[in-house]
Amino acid sequence: MAPSRGLLRLRQLSAASCRYGSIASGRRAASSFAQHLTNPSAKLQSYISRSRDPFLNLSIEDYVLRHSPPDSVVLFLYTNRPCVVIGRNQNPWLEVNLGILKVAPEQGSSFSNPELPAIGDVDLVRRRSGGGAVFHDEGNVNWSITCPRADFTRDKHAEMVVRALRRLGIERARVNERHDIVLDQGHERRTSDPSDTHRTAYTGDEGAQPRPLKVSGSAYKLTRGRALHHATTLLASPNLHIIPQYLHAPAKKFIEAKGVESVSSPVGNIGLENDIFQQRLQEEFATMYGARDTPPVVRTVGEAELDIPEIRKGYEELRTKEWLLSQTPQFRLKVDKSDLDGWSHELNVLLDINIHHGVIKSVDYSDFLYGTDREAQIRFALVGKKLQDIGDWHDFFRGREGTEALAECLTRWLPIPDTPGA
Amino acid sequence: MAARLSVARAARQLTSSAARRPATAYPVSCQRWQKAPIQSRLFTVSAQWEEKKYTEDHEWVELSADGKTATLGISTYAAKALGDIVFCELPQVGVEFSSGDAIGAVESVKSASDILTPISGEVVEVNSALEEVPGGINKDPEGEGWIAKIAVQAEPEGLMSAEEYKKHTEEA
Repeated sequence: MAPSRGLLRLRQLSAASCRYGSIASGRRAASSFAQHLTNPSAKLQSYISRSRDPFLNLSIEDYVLRHSPPDSVVLFLYTNRPCVVIGRNQNPWLEVNLGILKVAPEQGSSFSNPELPAIGDVDLVRRRSGGGAVFHDEGNVNWSITCPRADFTRDKHAEMVVRALRRLGIERARVNERHDIVLDQGHERRTSDPSDTHRTAYTGDEGAQPRPLKVSGSAYKLTRGRALHHATTLLASPNLHIIPQYLHAPAKKFIEAKGVESVSSPVGNIGLENDIFQQRLQEEFATMYGARDTPPVVRTVGEAELDIPEIRKGYEELRTKEWLLSQTPQFRLKVDKSDLDGWSHELNVLLDINIHHGVIKSVDYSDFLYGTDREAQIRFALVGKKLQDIGDWHDFFRGREGTEALAECLTRWLPIPDTPGA
Repeated sequence: MAARLSVARAARQLTSSAARRPATAYPVSCQRWQKAPIQSRLFTVSAQWEEKKYTEDHEWVELSADGKTATLGISTYAAKALGDIVFCELPQVGVEFSSGDAIGAVESVKSASDILTPISGEVVEVNSALEEVPGGINKDPEGEGWIAKIAVQAEPEGLMSAEEYKKHTEEA
């Protein structure tokens, strides 16, 4: 079915206005993005976001996955403000140090707690693709490729990025067996094939020290004949030293969880400026798809795209507690008395809570100070509750005598993270 | 071919609605009258559904012997291509889906893959064993590794036979 002449002309007009950078109203700019994206003849497309909002960038990306023409390949680049992004089927209490996400930087450097690494507001985001937890900030460029599922392999676009990096002089970059990009740290230079994106002159034998540093982590989403590959690229993160603290969960040893656990790797910065990497990657993308001489126009997207109803809907959904918390696969938090060594004598509790998709299914609780009546009351108060409706544990238990120890325990190991949406 | 299919479809829709209506209004007196259309319905259904069918997105569906429910899963080809499945998001029993909806997803090697249903209807059963052992899908994707059962409302269109599906995956 060919589009009508009128529609075609409209598309050309909006494409032209985009190219010459005329400042359109938000609505017009948004609809021009949607029109260009869905244009069946636009086989090769390239976008960059000016927004730093992780919820918005992920929603634009999801829209690209669902609405770009079935045979098109689309490159989308974006950089987020500091945030921790977990995989679709991960457990935030197992992956993230939730307690430091909202700690102001001045508190972090205070004398009372010099260990606190906080850098201020850090968003917590659950993405729609699989994989593990990652930290993003302004020194990290995210690249994403949407292509036909039939052409999809987990490595081919990581290889494209390695080619781009090598062209910029990063000769230690390669794709590893986990489909991530690492920088080899070997001291000895051996002979290597420069076109082999899986091996460098510094690749050591398996398990050799020093370990390669991970600079880019990948995740994928497959749906309706289309495949999305997106990945981080640590170019110059100023927060490298504290990333491990954000991705270390205090409750980890108390949690048994279904779902997907992250594989932690030592990370490093590549040491490039964002602009230089982005431009090189856009060129490499065009080259890979046979358009080196006629590269696709790079279009800018941003907040105006919230006028597109599907993007608005995806954006609101990602910001809800429902998506962040209830998507968590079944897990169990189990705390024994021995885990409480060093706590005050009031904390004589045993706790075993089962949680299915954000709803408390069972509670096994003993409190040596208050006995079985209190235990039954606590069970009754908790079973069937949605975590997202609880908010703050101290507030939740307020007015119930003798629950301070339990509230403290839960605040420490099962804090309910804040979300921008309800 | 297309015309014949659509005639058959129209006939099926007629017979199935005819069969349903009297069953509630005149349960006893219409039993004999009902018999013939039911037979012809089963015949046309089984002609379409006597074998497992496949979608372009690599799901399979198979109709139960009584023609009331369809079992859905992912194809052996897809299970191999996806690699080790580490998590399976199952739909909730009782939720109604339209054909083309994502009813769940599986995760393997950092990839979340939607499972799309080619048939509309209510989910009547899910394979809860996959919550404990998601790798069950890799072991026997077109048998023990089924994902959900759906109450069939109408016959799906545009599905492939095993042979057509094989060709489809070889081309890809």
